[in-house]
Amino acid sequence: MSNKFENRPLSPHLSIHKKVLTAVFSIFHRITGIGLSIGAILISMWFILISLGPSYFAYFQMISSSIFFKLILILWSFGIFYHLFNGIRKLYWSFGIGMDLRSVYGSGYAVIFLTFLSTITVWLFA
Amino acid sequence: MKNYALKWIVKRITASILIPLTFWFIYISISLSKMEYDETVIFFSSYFNSFLFYVMMISMLIHSRLGLQTILEDYVTSKKTLKISKLTIDYLTYSLMFLITVFVIKMIN
Repeated sequence: MSNKFENRPLSPHLSIHKKVLTAVFSIFHRITGIGLSIGAILISMWFILISLGPSYFAYFQMISSSIFFKLILILWSFGIFYHLFNGIRKLYWSFGIGMDLRSVYGSGYAVIFLTFLSTITVWLFA
Repeated sequence: MKNYALKWIVKRITASILIPLTFWFIYISISLSKMEYDETVIFFSSYFNSFLFYVMMISMLIHSRLGLQTILEDYVTSKKTLKISKLTIDYLTYSLMFLITVFVIKMIN
């Protein structure tokens, strides 16, 4: 009985479909979503360390001074901007706006452009 | 699972809340990264900053929980694994919500 359910194919057949751009966009939205969820844990930990006091915050400062941490931050900001702009695109779709093929590709390219532009802008100021 | 329609709506409401707050958080992060510890504490002692941070964190955790649930439901075939991973996410979400609430209150006092 349970096998009948457990072995059935699932909706996004990642290994079967051809990797068209629109599908890649959707998958990347999910990947960045998972990454940002881990990020949410990190922001929480950062805030808790601040609240606990300067001796605890020193742990964060120890980690944050490394180049590896800066690299993570750059990747993180990229993920945030991608998920944000693609999320706005998905919100429009929720209202049925921009769902024809031309708009879907057009807004997709806009998301890539805005993601790179925003990430570069942030790191010019940081 | 029940209440899919409600989850769909809540995911979009939290997303809409997060759009302006994400821009705000990235903007303040640039200055926060240059601050000393004491300045950071002063930043969070402001009701306005703490309120925005709190709303952002709670919306983020709700949005993240719903998003991860959707991904799990799509890719995890084993009912047992699905149940355990969902429980883990629930546990993490609610613990972090509780901790953030406690520490935001601590920071503004």
